Amino acid sequence: MLKMTHLSKVYRTEVVETYALRDFNIDVKEGEFVAVTGPSGSGKTTFLTIAGLLETFTGGEYHLDGIEVSQLDDNARSKIRNEKIGFIFQAFNLIPDLNVFDNVEVPLRYRGMKAAERKERIMNALDRVGLASRAKHYPAELSGGQQQRVAIARALAGTPRLLLADEPTGNLDTQMARGVLELLEEIHREGATIVMVTHDPELAARAQRNVHIIDGQVVDLAEDPRFHTAYTAAAGQIRG
Amino acid sequence: MYAYYLQLGLRSLRRNPMLTALMMMAIGFGVAASMITYSVFRAVSDDPIPNKSSQLFAPQIDSWGPQQNEKGEPPGALNYVDAMALMRAHKASRQTLIYPVMLSALGRDADSVPSSASGYAVTGDFFPMFEVPFLYGSGWNTSEDDHRAADVVLTKEFNQRMFGGANSVGKEIVLGGNAYRIVGVAQHWNPAPRFYAVWGEDGFSESPDFYVLLNRMLDLHVDSSGRNSCRGNLAFTGWDQWLQSNCVWLMPWVELNTRSDAEQYRQFLTSYAADQQHAGRFGWPANIRLLDVMAFMTQQNVVPPESRISLIVALCFFVICLVNTIGLLLAKFMRRAGEIGVRRALGATRREIYTQYLLEAASVGIAGGVLGLLLTAVGMSGVSLLFDQEIAQLAHLDLSLVALTLLVSVLAAVAAAFYPAWRAAQVQPAWQLKSN
Amino acid sequence: MQIKPILSALRRHKAGTVLIALQIALTLAIVCNALYIIHQRLAHIAEPTGVDEPNLFAMANLWGEQYTKEQAAAKVQQDLATLRQLPSVADATPTDGYPLRGGGWDNFITMKPDQTAKTTDASVYVGDEHFLRTLGLKLIAGRDFNAGEVQNMGLRESTIPPVTIISKTLADRLFPNGDALGKSFYSMSSTPTTIIGIVDTLHRQDVSTWSAPYTGQSLIWPLRLAQPLGVFYVVRAKPGQLADAMREAPKALYAENRMRMFPAKDGLVNYQQIREEAFERDRGMAILMGIICAVLLAITAAGIVGLTSFWVGQRRRQIGVRRALGATHRDILHYFLTENLLISLGGIAIGTLLAFGLNLWLVKTFSLGFLPLTYVLGGMVTLVLLGQGAVFAPALRASRVPPIEATRPA
Repeated sequence: MLKMTHLSKVYRTEVVETYALRDFNIDVKEGEFVAVTGPSGSGKTTFLTIAGLLETFTGGEYHLDGIEVSQLDDNARSKIRNEKIGFIFQAFNLIPDLNVFDNVEVPLRYRGMKAAERKERIMNALDRVGLASRAKHYPAELSGGQQQRVAIARALAGTPRLLLADEPTGNLDTQMARGVLELLEEIHREGATIVMVTHDPELAARAQRNVHIIDGQVVDLAEDPRFHTAYTAAAGQIRG
Repeated sequence: MYAYYLQLGLRSLRRNPMLTALMMMAIGFGVAASMITYSVFRAVSDDPIPNKSSQLFAPQIDSWGPQQNEKGEPPGALNYVDAMALMRAHKASRQTLIYPVMLSALGRDADSVPSSASGYAVTGDFFPMFEVPFLYGSGWNTSEDDHRAADVVLTKEFNQRMFGGANSVGKEIVLGGNAYRIVGVAQHWNPAPRFYAVWGEDGFSESPDFYVLLNRMLDLHVDSSGRNSCRGNLAFTGWDQWLQSNCVWLMPWVELNTRSDAEQYRQFLTSYAADQQHAGRFGWPANIRLLDVMAFMTQQNVVPPESRISLIVALCFFVICLVNTIGLLLAKFMRRAGEIGVRRALGATRREIYTQYLLEAASVGIAGGVLGLLLTAVGMSGVSLLFDQEIAQLAHLDLSLVALTLLVSVLAAVAAAFYPAWRAAQVQPAWQLKSN
Repeated sequence: MQIKPILSALRRHKAGTVLIALQIALTLAIVCNALYIIHQRLAHIAEPTGVDEPNLFAMANLWGEQYTKEQAAAKVQQDLATLRQLPSVADATPTDGYPLRGGGWDNFITMKPDQTAKTTDASVYVGDEHFLRTLGLKLIAGRDFNAGEVQNMGLRESTIPPVTIISKTLADRLFPNGDALGKSFYSMSSTPTTIIGIVDTLHRQDVSTWSAPYTGQSLIWPLRLAQPLGVFYVVRAKPGQLADAMREAPKALYAENRMRMFPAKDGLVNYQQIREEAFERDRGMAILMGIICAVLLAITAAGIVGLTSFWVGQRRRQIGVRRALGATHRDILHYFLTENLLISLGGIAIGTLLAFGLNLWLVKTFSLGFLPLTYVLGGMVTLVLLGQGAVFAPALRASRVPPIEATRPA
């Protein structure tokens, strides 16, 4: 489903070149639920933005659903994002001007769907996340958990093959976080591929497979001594 | 999809009412100022006789010479000698001579005081060549010109005043103490500018009262009530000597239907002027002009400088309003960079973002246009404060101006949005809703 | 306040900076020229006529019958006698026109009889020995006409009287040494006319741009119009009796001879009406330019408020950080005021060039005068103050951003 080989991403400034990802290799099979962990600044988010075609990369290859994406133009990338990928952001990223219904509708609009089908999908998605009754509410009128569930409904409405989640519970309290996670597991059971970035070991443990990133590379957790110190330090910093 | 963008646009406009109002006002005021001044400009610069303006020509002959003419240009009218020579030569399919006269008119009530009536002394070709429409009767035949008949054509307005609007053809009317036979009553016809008499007039005054046979007027020594312009030392001591002087006061017009006719007439004028030089009447080589209606309007500066300057200043004002709108749109669109990023992440293409914001601007344009239309309507009622009464009367808000106002507003708003929308479309798909 | 960090911040907001600067530049260019147009028009309106305006009125008297020269002369004399007898009337004169009438008679002036190119141009007034007294002109040298000098002037007679009274402006133009009295000049004739008197001010009949180079240049000839078309009467009412005189005059003239016409437009007009008619275009231009200036300045100010508000909103966090690092309210306020000042100065630099460019074009196309530097300086000050004023409210809001903003997520 998602396969990156020898992928690199370099940020250039006038003075230095910084490798965000270096010789990065990952292979996520269809239907997998993968958690990506790593300390702050390790390249998790860069990995996710590239996986979600939000950014381009510098070298290597990236096959998404069998398509090599490095040569695609902006329009084609937009189309793939729209049809194959669902995003769940840490900060929910709902559009404050739009109500729940309209927020969920955004990706469907760009797909050029008929109004009736859009409505059916939106209501189904909202049903799934238990917010059908809040369709007319605005994001500001909802709790954090509810907002994140709207964001999930938005991701689900387009029935994406790949769901990318960035700290989906990062801004939520434990109880709400659990609800969101259960929802993700349910979606996974129904066949979606999920890649979730998190720094929460408990959350990561619920995934089928864990991938660790340090210094822009995937590492084998058991074999790399760098991980323990770096990870502990980073986790401590964030929690503190 | 466009409906969706429009819906998003309106929603966004409602969210920043102050910013929206500001943009609407910028476009509204800009377009209103432009439209008001344009309506006046249009009124004064219009082709007064669109069907024939390229076939009607005002011949000009320099009878003053290089030292006394108007910066090299021949005078805008003819003296009696040259005018009569052109008439006699009769080298055009139709030709006329015109000068303004003012005569008294006595009402039907014998005890009433006379009222002044203004008109033009013209020849028979005047009516067919300018396509004067008739209510009753017609113009006079050119043979009447040779008979120096006492024929007159009344205008509808004057016929209303003197005969209560009845068919007065065949009746007599006393003007300036002499009787005339009414041969026709013209429909309302007052081209603006009144091209055939703009030399020495502003060209926008009210309809004349009558057209009277030129030769008859000359026989009666009825003086021109309009402009008379002379050069050098004047030695005339009365009417007949004045006719032989270099004073110009007669406006000639000829109808030339093809380009080659015009060319032949131009050659005729040149050879006429050259003959005058050979005969010793002109001490300079031929200097003639043969301008069609629109060229003559330009040469005679019919458009008042005021309406030109106002239009230019108003257009500059509009440009500033647009620069203002560009800035505000940029601010507005970039404030929504976060939202744009999310939309891009959710699969919106650049083109879709671009279209969305252009349409949002278009809706500002429509709103600004409606405001501009209201302001234009208000402004039009105030036009009489800003321009001459006679010109102000000509400017009016018609359907084409309404359509133009809205069209210009929308186009202006969309043009102003090109850059801001382009910037918006450049926003990268965002992983995070950031404020910048 | 350090300017360097502001400049580098502006470099990151190129588009917005350029737009504000451009707007200020264009506004300066338009406002300077518009104000100058207003000034010129108002100056034109304010030109003195030299006549006793509050007590004067004019009548365009057209004959209802075709009179010979002798008949017309007799009728004019009779009319004048009638007018001068009216209790509310101080004096009356027959003439070819009056100051500010528009158009009218003007003659080329030459210093020699055989001179082809004109020396200058003068507005021509004709009248009888009552002309100066009726109009209330101030004779500053020489003498008035006497009755014996007044001749009748019939249809298309180019009579050039041997004597003339001219305005001081014309006298100074023809004889810059101030010794015009008693000298002669030629006016489209081979016979000279001698200056017997000089009046202080006498505005021309014409008010158009064409006349501008000859402003105030007028001459008076002792001629009584005896023409078939008609004549103008200028009547001076006794102080405070203008309305009465204007009511009585036409009535008395009709009673004496009803075969005459007073056209609606200028048959009976006092100076208030004459001025209104003469300066309609000038007043209109001044009003229009005034409105455009006012709205333009308002829109520019609003635009600056709008864009600055946006910048403040965008930089709240940054401002919070500055505040957290110890910047005072005043520092933040000064930051935005200085930023606006820099942009304004940039705009003004371009605007000054544009203002002169636009002016040059207007001079070339519409013979407007050259823009005085004071207008541009005034425009600069206005726009700087406008910019500072417009930016003040958003800057004040910025200065009130609490330092806690720094800790909020972006």
